[in-house]
Amino acid sequence: MNLELIPLLIVVLLMISAGGVDVETTEFVIEGDHEITEHRGALIVGDATVIIPGDETITGPVYVIGGEFHIEGAVEGDVTQLSGSLLIEDGGSIGGELQHFGGSEEFADGAIVSERSSVEFAPAEPDPIAAYTPVILTTLMLALVGAWFARTRRTLLDTVGSAARDHPVISLTVGALLAVTFLAVFVFMAFTLVLLPVSILGLLVGMVTIFYGIIAVGYLVGQQWETERVGLATALGIVAVMAFLQVIGVVPILGDLIAGGLLLIGLGAVVLTYFGLQEFEPVTLPG
Amino acid sequence: MKLVEYVREGQWIPLTGYLFYVAALTAGYYYNLTFVQLGLTDLGTREIGLPAEDVSVVMAVLAFLTLVVAVVSGITMDKKGWSTDLYVKFRLLFFIILVQLILTVAAPFVSSVEAFVGWVVVCSMALGLGIPVTFSFMLDFIPIRDRGYVAATVAGLSFFAAALYPVEWRIDEFSLVMSVLMVPAVLILGVISVKRFAVIDALAGQHERDTFGIGRFCRPTPVRTLSLAFIGPVVLMFGVFFIDSLGFLRIIEEPLYIYTSWQSPDMGVRLFIAVLHVVGALAAGVLYTNFNRNWVFFWVFGLFAFTHLLYVFDIRFGVGDTPALILPMFYVLAVSFYTTLNFALWPDLSTTETIGTHTALGVGIAGWLATFLSTSLALYSEGIGLPFGTHLTYVNALSLLFIVGLPVLLYGHRMVVLARGGTAS
Repeated sequence: MNLELIPLLIVVLLMISAGGVDVETTEFVIEGDHEITEHRGALIVGDATVIIPGDETITGPVYVIGGEFHIEGAVEGDVTQLSGSLLIEDGGSIGGELQHFGGSEEFADGAIVSERSSVEFAPAEPDPIAAYTPVILTTLMLALVGAWFARTRRTLLDTVGSAARDHPVISLTVGALLAVTFLAVFVFMAFTLVLLPVSILGLLVGMVTIFYGIIAVGYLVGQQWETERVGLATALGIVAVMAFLQVIGVVPILGDLIAGGLLLIGLGAVVLTYFGLQEFEPVTLPG
Repeated sequence: MKLVEYVREGQWIPLTGYLFYVAALTAGYYYNLTFVQLGLTDLGTREIGLPAEDVSVVMAVLAFLTLVVAVVSGITMDKKGWSTDLYVKFRLLFFIILVQLILTVAAPFVSSVEAFVGWVVVCSMALGLGIPVTFSFMLDFIPIRDRGYVAATVAGLSFFAAALYPVEWRIDEFSLVMSVLMVPAVLILGVISVKRFAVIDALAGQHERDTFGIGRFCRPTPVRTLSLAFIGPVVLMFGVFFIDSLGFLRIIEEPLYIYTSWQSPDMGVRLFIAVLHVVGALAAGVLYTNFNRNWVFFWVFGLFAFTHLLYVFDIRFGVGDTPALILPMFYVLAVSFYTTLNFALWPDLSTTETIGTHTALGVGIAGWLATFLSTSLALYSEGIGLPFGTHLTYVNALSLLFIVGLPVLLYGHRMVVLARGGTAS
């Protein structure tokens, strides 16, 4: 599953939860090509192509968070589009309201939409400054927190940094296992709706842990300057790490692997050292 | 890693040991995964025409005989000192592979129930003897520090190959291929069984070194066979293997899940599973080498519990489409984890005096007996028409029992130690 879908999925589940839709009838189409001929309950379109054939009707509501949703038949309820593509063919219809928040939409001449509302959170083609604003803001925030942390809690960063530097393979392994498992667990929890708050909290804690890892790696990089102004060095190190993640991400596949690996090493090092409270020592083996 | 040191120092004799161990165990486990576990079912049901319940009875016989032969041969090897005599073990391995070669060649010609039962009995004897012989090679060839990684390599490679070939599990199709592959092994083992070589002489003495002969968990005190330190892991590993086979063999029979399992007709899916087996095994190797073994057990049970939860959720609430690859992904991770643990754990719970018995009991009970008993049970439940959802509910219950039982067992053990006046470390 595309990881970028997860925040949108959480939003949709919150909407479903607030709307009182029965979760047991909710269907989430993650990937592949599907023709939905009959479905009663909410339908979430993820990274998939979903078609409602010409002579078929589904009740809805439908939430589009990725992929493509083709309506050749009819959707009786509301359709909410957060991302992805929505195509309503000639003769296709939406009986409820179409709420458009993002993504592309295309209506054929004979398409019928009872009611339409649109709230655009981002322009269709953002300019480069707008595109990089979140990254720059995140970097600044991490640099500030990192600088403060390095001045007041240097031992913690030392401990995490040492684990990342001295045991990168172990940190990577633990980080990868935790990321894969807990991501799946939290998404799974979200589907129960009852555990949705736990799921959101878990994802937030995960995000904070990853940020902590970036700060620790930034601290390590900052140490290379051998200056007494440890706060400044850490902040610059964090900026360097974030810039590296952006630049390396441009290289297809390999760049993503390297960037992901670095983040996971940081995550693993944070967990292995109990957030820097205890140095990590692997078991001692003879020989 | 010791391996890196050996390469850097140009010590080719220990490196030959690594090579031999990985080749022998990978080939052996691949044979077990394909030809025995799945080929046998095919032989019984499709070629002979036996009902699934009858095949399950034969599988149970195979399991029991394999265990008995393994334990008898393991104890005998320890008592007679064969566990530490590499030349004797090579001769035994030569004999085992020769018998398996004959069985492999003969398999497509087995056409009656009597011949099938006879084939199974001989097969179980070869398997039983093979357990202590092959698993005890760890003490001869692999230093303690590298056992997790080497076990991971064996598990990863054998699963990788089994996921990609054969495309269909039909005994007649790959009997020929397996036979051709086994002939060179028989010839090489035949030669080194009767003729002495300087390389083999050097390898034969490696178990006398401290870093080879005394298992990781036998320091400073060797683990006794009748102790919680040995019986505990046997019970836990039995649970792991049992749960896996009980669930997996029914899952791959379901048309819905075939598309995301080893039997998927989509080569992309099979490649995904194959690669993930390798990644999972390597992760398990890293954890085994650097953490207390209880952490690996925790991961295994946690992954199994979560995987079964995913499958049951998909069965209950899925819409009948091909499930997402996240389901087999977690299954594959769990399987790779416990297989890696199985290869490394028993030798590390042994010394040169107990390696035959411990590997026989460990692999025999936890691996073979559990796998074949659960296979029989899975076939039986299919035979009596037990609904798939109900079957998986039982598997879930077992899975949850073990995930709860593990911390309780560890906590109880700690209490016993403290009650006996142990220190509260």
